[in-house]
Amino acid sequence: MIITDNSYKSDNDRSGNCIDDVSDSVHLPLNKDYAQFGLSFEEYKKINDIMKREPDDFELGIFSAMWSEHCSYKSTKIHLKNLPSKGSAVIIGPGENAGVIEFDGVNVLVFKMESHNHPSFIEPFEGAATGVGGIMRDIFTMGARPIANLNSLRFGNFNHPRTPYYLSEVVKGIGFYGNCMGVPTVGGEVVFDSCYDNNILVNAFTIGIAKKDAIFLSSACEEGNFVVYVGSATGMDGINGATMASGEFDSSKAKKRSTVQVGDPFTEKLLLEACLEAMDKKLIVSIQDMGAAGLTSSSFEMSENSGKGMILNMDKIPLRAAGMTPLDIMLSESQERMLIACEKGKYDELEEIFKKWDLNCVIIGEVTKEKTIQFIYKSKPYHTLPVEAVVNGPSYDRPSAVPLYIKDVKQFLPDEYRMPKNFNSVAERIISHPNIASKHFIYRQYDYQIGTNTLAGPGSSCAVLRYKEFNASADSANSAHPADLSSGYSANPADLSSGIILNSNCNSKYCYLNPYKGAMLAVIECARNISACGGTPVAITDCLNFASPEDPEIMWQFKEAIRGITDAALKFNTPAVSGNVSLYNETAGAGKIYPTPVIAMVGYIDDAGKAINSNYKDEGDNVYLLGRLSGNLGGSLFMELVHNDFMQEPLSIDIDYELKLQSCLRGLIDGKLLKSAADISEGGLFTAVSEPAILSDKNLGVIAEIHRDGLRNDMILFSEFEQAFVISANPSNEHKIYEFAKNAGIEIEKIGTVVKDIIKFNNIIELKSGKIKERYYSAIEKLFDNKTF
Amino acid sequence: MSIGLNLMENKKINAGITVFPGSNCDMDVYYALKDVFNLNVSFLWHKDEFHNFKNYDFIVIPGGFSYGDYLRAGALAARSRVMKSIKEYADGGGIVLGICNGFQILLESGLLKGAMLTNKSLKFECRDVYIKNISGNNFNKNNNSNNNKSGNNNNRENPFTCLIEKDAVLKLPIAHHDGNYFAENNELEDLFSSGHVAFQYCNEDGAVSDDSNPNGSLKNIGGLFGENFNVMGLMPHPERASEKILGSDDGAKIFNSIIYYIKNK
Repeated sequence: MIITDNSYKSDNDRSGNCIDDVSDSVHLPLNKDYAQFGLSFEEYKKINDIMKREPDDFELGIFSAMWSEHCSYKSTKIHLKNLPSKGSAVIIGPGENAGVIEFDGVNVLVFKMESHNHPSFIEPFEGAATGVGGIMRDIFTMGARPIANLNSLRFGNFNHPRTPYYLSEVVKGIGFYGNCMGVPTVGGEVVFDSCYDNNILVNAFTIGIAKKDAIFLSSACEEGNFVVYVGSATGMDGINGATMASGEFDSSKAKKRSTVQVGDPFTEKLLLEACLEAMDKKLIVSIQDMGAAGLTSSSFEMSENSGKGMILNMDKIPLRAAGMTPLDIMLSESQERMLIACEKGKYDELEEIFKKWDLNCVIIGEVTKEKTIQFIYKSKPYHTLPVEAVVNGPSYDRPSAVPLYIKDVKQFLPDEYRMPKNFNSVAERIISHPNIASKHFIYRQYDYQIGTNTLAGPGSSCAVLRYKEFNASADSANSAHPADLSSGYSANPADLSSGIILNSNCNSKYCYLNPYKGAMLAVIECARNISACGGTPVAITDCLNFASPEDPEIMWQFKEAIRGITDAALKFNTPAVSGNVSLYNETAGAGKIYPTPVIAMVGYIDDAGKAINSNYKDEGDNVYLLGRLSGNLGGSLFMELVHNDFMQEPLSIDIDYELKLQSCLRGLIDGKLLKSAADISEGGLFTAVSEPAILSDKNLGVIAEIHRDGLRNDMILFSEFEQAFVISANPSNEHKIYEFAKNAGIEIEKIGTVVKDIIKFNNIIELKSGKIKERYYSAIEKLFDNKTF
Repeated sequence: MSIGLNLMENKKINAGITVFPGSNCDMDVYYALKDVFNLNVSFLWHKDEFHNFKNYDFIVIPGGFSYGDYLRAGALAARSRVMKSIKEYADGGGIVLGICNGFQILLESGLLKGAMLTNKSLKFECRDVYIKNISGNNFNKNNNSNNNKSGNNNNRENPFTCLIEKDAVLKLPIAHHDGNYFAENNELEDLFSSGHVAFQYCNEDGAVSDDSNPNGSLKNIGGLFGENFNVMGLMPHPERASEKILGSDDGAKIFNSIIYYIKNK
């Protein structure tokens, strides 16, 4: 069902002016304001064809929600299918609520990343909170108990007057929801850049653990099942949210507040426990959360995925607002609700569990053989809509074109730039830059330890979780007597060794300069961080944040980014098992975001006790560079800060060398030869050598010296994403380390020594550790000086 | 200190953990007590009263957001059925440890004096902190007789710190939004003079200062005993620091004290 490029006139269609190519198939009265529903003329015409008449507002509302970019992925699905999604670890790939990968033969991991950008820009606290709530529901819908959250945040320029407000509210919202749910927020990333001044990004990731033989799907409805509504009552919040999120912002942003949902993590915590308990007792046939487009998407998608239909009685829906129309009810995005299909004979038991947790549990319909949704309202048949046509919306191969700005991206030529005179001051500016500096001001507001699995939390390059038997059966919560407690944790602490490693990445500046390389780098950078802990990359999820797909230049960025992710993910054997696309991240007259394809990666380590971090441990240890340097400053923070010019081609990555390099590093860590490892990311080698001293808890420093023929000091110190790691080790291990690297075909060179108190580099940088530490830890907090919210 | 003392014998000790809607550290406490300390552990559901007090050697009220922390943290939980029983249990000498939200619930139910305000930063605070044991007497480890029960005010035996040296510094994590302890001036003086303050926030070296106060608590109070020393509220989370792999096992000292006390009482 693909409409070709030619037939799609995006901008004109939206305004409703272009009716030259009116179809001859049906009469079009055109008295519906389809543009108000976010539909194009072509789409409206198609709906007329399907209904064989002009749709009324209810029908149009349902179609427009399901055909919104947010629900239908209409601009991207033909490209997304190119992403690698198969592999030996994959149990369920894209298409369900979340992806599922093999863990230990008995348990599986369920994870996904999702955006909540538009709501967070309108109402940052509620937007961020419900983003976190929504992704956690996606995970426990599948029968998995969430064990960790990450979030990837993008805010405007650090000095933009609204940045402190957005940062403060978003962080508060994430903490509010995650903390109350009892799911630790173990890591993430926060980046400030002017391109997000008018479109912040809030991407939330959750990973959960489930028994392999107890994964729940939305595709298992059987004829005659009760359709059961559980959770919060339906209100007027978030109505049309999916449609809102499928358009750019304009000056009417202020009016969009009612499209943002309001979250109640307390209810979701109850919903989590009740759902897992009902799943444990096998009372649920099929389940889907009411996320974007609420009851509409859950009922239609469950029906479509199961090849069935439903009768839905609108009179039965629990409501918390008066005067709601059936369309309001169907489009409400009130949070903390689930749709369940349940065998008739098991309903009473199901209801008992939800009542125990003080939650609504109501039969609102029945699964039918006919592939339609039949609505009943005021005890009478109201509407009947075809499932397949509503769910399978249009798909576009939108035109793409190389952006004009690409021709301004030059090769980096050092001779065109003068070396800075004062390296000390550059070093201080880099280390205290908000994109480099400590984010402890932020992550201290998240409970990152609950669950008692967090071995490395936020502030480390990766989160490391130990695995222990999580499956304390929910019903044990109801046992009043010790003797009743037969189920529960059964792990022996001595066996708690295998670990899960998580992190997310995306340098959007690099993606802007070269979306192919930038997206590839996002995958590689995730893998580097996992390898630097000693772990092996296993799988990824993606959250693809772009501006309007109706702009061919943006579409080009998107396609290039997909190509980059694909090439890297194939090489690393890390399939994309789930994902999310957020488009229209632009504001009329105020610019577009850089392409921001955020990647979150999951890795494993056999023995979590062997995982290391980037911090130096002891005075007298040797510091080595493992790998090679290119000296390409293109796109670096250094170029932006010092020369106010970052429009140069980023470095090219030799991916086969990269695989060898990371494998060598993992081998060294597995052999317990290293005390620390850090990759070279933003801020370059200088940051990679200094940060481990700053992060150490003994006021350590480092003296380093490294020279390369043909590379100036600024190129050595500040070029980014080099194919190299900074590692430290006890000097007595030197011979073994050199041997190992040599056998792996990887260059290694001693570049320094861990000392006390001072950071020295090539005799051009000399800083007191204490002072630089103070700047590193206070930079973000300074944003809030004299400001209250 | 080795964890768990005699783990096989621990199996005879029965611990109860309350579960309110919104409790979220219940599983962590359960895991620590059952799998780290090898106790016999069960849950107490908020809707149920219980009267079989003999079935519980001690009860933990775990952290979380009971009833969503609506109204005030701990206020609704304090009025639940299970708390009605726990008050009777505590009045009869039963050992009750309230952690984080559990501390707030104990305050709201009147088993502890004072109240919790929002953190001075007005933010949720999660990080490792240091607390100092300022409670008196250690249970005499070399002498299992009860001859030290008659100590003076500053020399009380209690189940929670009996294996912890006086002035010992523990590293434990906090994670709360409302941990800013408050009591009236005269009340505060009484609490100190009668030995009811268990732990104060301090720095790594044990110095009690504003710098080491994570939430603005009066006098850096982080842990408090109830009137008869059989109830303790503790803001940091010992269950998150009961194994070396988690960065600290200082929390085990508190659980081991309770276990030791029960075995030797």
